[in-house]
Amino acid sequence: MARLIISPEARGQLSAIAQVRWRLFVNSLRSIHGRVELFSRAFIGLGFAVVGFGGAFGLGAGAAFFISSDRAEWLALLLWPVFMFWQLFPVLATAFTENFDSSNLLRFPLSYPSYFAIRLAYGSFDPATALGVLWLSAMALGIGSARPDLFPWAALVLIVFGMLNILTGRVIFAWVERWLARRRTREILGVVFFLIIISFQFIGPLVNHYGEGPRPVPGHLLVRLLPLERLLPPGLAAAAIAEATRAQFKSAFGALLLLGSYGFVIAWLLHLRLRAQYRGENLSEAAKRSTSLAEKLPIRLGWKLPGFSSPVAAIFEKEFRYLSRSGPMLFTMIMPVVVLMIFRLTPSTSGSGDGFLVRAPDLAFPAGAAYALLVLTNLVYNNFGPDASGIQFFFAAPVRFRDILLAKNLVHAAVLALEASLVWLAVCFVFRRPSLDVTMATLAGLLFALLVNLTAGNMLSLSSPKKIDFGTFGRQRASNTTVFASFAVQIAVFGLAALTFLAARRHGQIWLATLIFFGLAAVAGAVYALALSRADNIAMARRETLIAELSRA
Amino acid sequence: MTAAAISTEHLTRRFGNLLAVDDVDLQVASGQFFGFLGPNGAGKSTTIKMLTGLLAPSSGRIEILGLGLAENPVEVKRQIGVVPEGMALFGRLTGAEYLNFAGRMYGLDRQTAAQRAAELLEFMQLADQPKTLVTDYSHGMQKKLALAAAVIHNPKILFLDEPFEGVDAIASGTLKAMLQRMISRGATIFLTSHVLEIVERLCSHVAIIHRGKLVAQGSLEELRAGVEAQAADALAANGVAGSAVTPSAQKLTLEQIFLRIVGGAQPTERELSWLG
Repeated sequence: MARLIISPEARGQLSAIAQVRWRLFVNSLRSIHGRVELFSRAFIGLGFAVVGFGGAFGLGAGAAFFISSDRAEWLALLLWPVFMFWQLFPVLATAFTENFDSSNLLRFPLSYPSYFAIRLAYGSFDPATALGVLWLSAMALGIGSARPDLFPWAALVLIVFGMLNILTGRVIFAWVERWLARRRTREILGVVFFLIIISFQFIGPLVNHYGEGPRPVPGHLLVRLLPLERLLPPGLAAAAIAEATRAQFKSAFGALLLLGSYGFVIAWLLHLRLRAQYRGENLSEAAKRSTSLAEKLPIRLGWKLPGFSSPVAAIFEKEFRYLSRSGPMLFTMIMPVVVLMIFRLTPSTSGSGDGFLVRAPDLAFPAGAAYALLVLTNLVYNNFGPDASGIQFFFAAPVRFRDILLAKNLVHAAVLALEASLVWLAVCFVFRRPSLDVTMATLAGLLFALLVNLTAGNMLSLSSPKKIDFGTFGRQRASNTTVFASFAVQIAVFGLAALTFLAARRHGQIWLATLIFFGLAAVAGAVYALALSRADNIAMARRETLIAELSRA
Repeated sequence: MTAAAISTEHLTRRFGNLLAVDDVDLQVASGQFFGFLGPNGAGKSTTIKMLTGLLAPSSGRIEILGLGLAENPVEVKRQIGVVPEGMALFGRLTGAEYLNFAGRMYGLDRQTAAQRAAELLEFMQLADQPKTLVTDYSHGMQKKLALAAAVIHNPKILFLDEPFEGVDAIASGTLKAMLQRMISRGATIFLTSHVLEIVERLCSHVAIIHRGKLVAQGSLEELRAGVEAQAADALAANGVAGSAVTPSAQKLTLEQIFLRIVGGAQPTERELSWLG
């Protein structure tokens, strides 16, 4: 395989791909949008750098401490978070991950080993890998500083562990993408994925909750699970280093061998997927033809929205249908209720006793409502993303963009109203019924925050659109500019709302917060109306960018 | 004299230094089946996008049914139907939902939109897959659906960008039947296509754009006569007289006319000598 990869032809192909990536990057800087994206990316990169170097310092120091205090097995405590981050971050934060569309390359006479190498190389350029490598390097240095003689062995083990992480990441992406290629499996996968995320959220609170009793059953369970943990990659890497500290080289080598064999199995799984892709598998969905006339649906009238024009009602209906067909999106809608449950189960971090929201249940509704709004921002900040080339229809139709955005915003408001009601009911059951003044203040604050977010979301949707492709995984769902700007808006809005609410609460004058929020909402409403009235001009001025960005293949 | 269905004056579009459409004056009378031709990159799609409001002209004026597009975009769009390059479909709706939506966006009431959507699905042979999402349609089915959405409000002018691209013979027959029916009822159709045989069979009038400039415009007979006259002039200038100048008994095809106007260069022996 190596011989083929470095053959002159393969070398030329790899160099051509690298060159084309570079040209794509350079060409993207020709537009203002591209330059703004680069700036946003640099800013986000700065955040990653802070997290990366902070984590590296902590992990390096931790590794040095465990080795010098003769607790090398405990390295697993450091390796597990690295492993989990490396595998979960790209899945959870697809906005920062760039996956690879292999179909563009398969038309060229690329050998399979070269194709495999390219797919693998792409995995080495995402933030998770960069941070993972940095952290493992820091750990190796930490171990080396505590026991210089151990450095070469620790470095070897951590290199194998790092390679395994890269392979695992690629395997996850390759297989998930295969499932995402079909709409039905895509939706099932979305729901399963969502349930996994929820179950992860519950682990900590449940362990803490039951661990406090006279018989900490899960504690026993964890002890029983420890031998299993030692057979998994982070445990094996830790064991390989720990055995070496005790000069048990046979055991150390055995652990490393097992770690390496995991790598081979994962590489084989990756090979299965990539070979199928390389051979040109066809995952397209052919439409099923009905055979009987009885299956034809009766004529159904469109929805009617009292007080609004027919086009606004039509867009409202279309948006709801889109939402109802997005399984993962629907499931994220119940996240605020789930988060409230988690808070109900989570004990205080400062010691024994109940958690924050149990001690201050009057804050449960505001907190849940704020989270509901955060979930909604997924929809608000890239309004036209799911429409893709349908954006051309909006430009060709005799409808004003203010009406299109108004209809979309009505859906957002309806979803938020529904979510707020769910949260209110959940708070009643899980904590206690929120008082009238807290309910009013929260709703007023929500109105203000919604209007600000809708205004910012509409403007960003028009100025920085990004096509959402439901069939791909790990490609950005929003532009970096949008991610950056929406983050800034959330900090400002939630900061202001939290300060206002907490100050009013401290003085026992919640109604004052309600008044302030209504005042702010009135201002935000005026700004929203103004922005909406200018939507047509902005859309017309930006139509080329909008159509080009959303209609691209 | 009635206003032209489509009229442009000095229509120009620049992309940076590139002059994609250069000072185009176009006249399409009502009821014409108008073919807009040109080699790749000549400016066809740019022109059709400007005529339908999908792209702003750098300069010049567009009038549709006597109304300025820049001043009356909504009123103009109410009168026209468009099948743009990317088809402009909403993938996560069913065919019926999409047509219903399109009808209402063009101002039809709920009852009429639903009724016409059902009729169009039946006519386009798309009614037997009522629950299939548009994203799961084949390319040909999507083309038919896009055309159905463009005509649901009974537009006076229909703009079609490459309507027959990627469409099989059966679907193509359905599309042609619908277009002929619209023409017979007084609508105007403006289409771009690379399939010159189809244009020749369907269109009464043709314009040819080359390197952004309109180089020919008129009925097929006018274009043919122009090309033959040009050929005769050229022969006469070279001193060939008599019967050699007389037009041949066999009519020039649209493809021959097109090639003579645009001037497709034939590769020399030396060019691409490594190929084959």
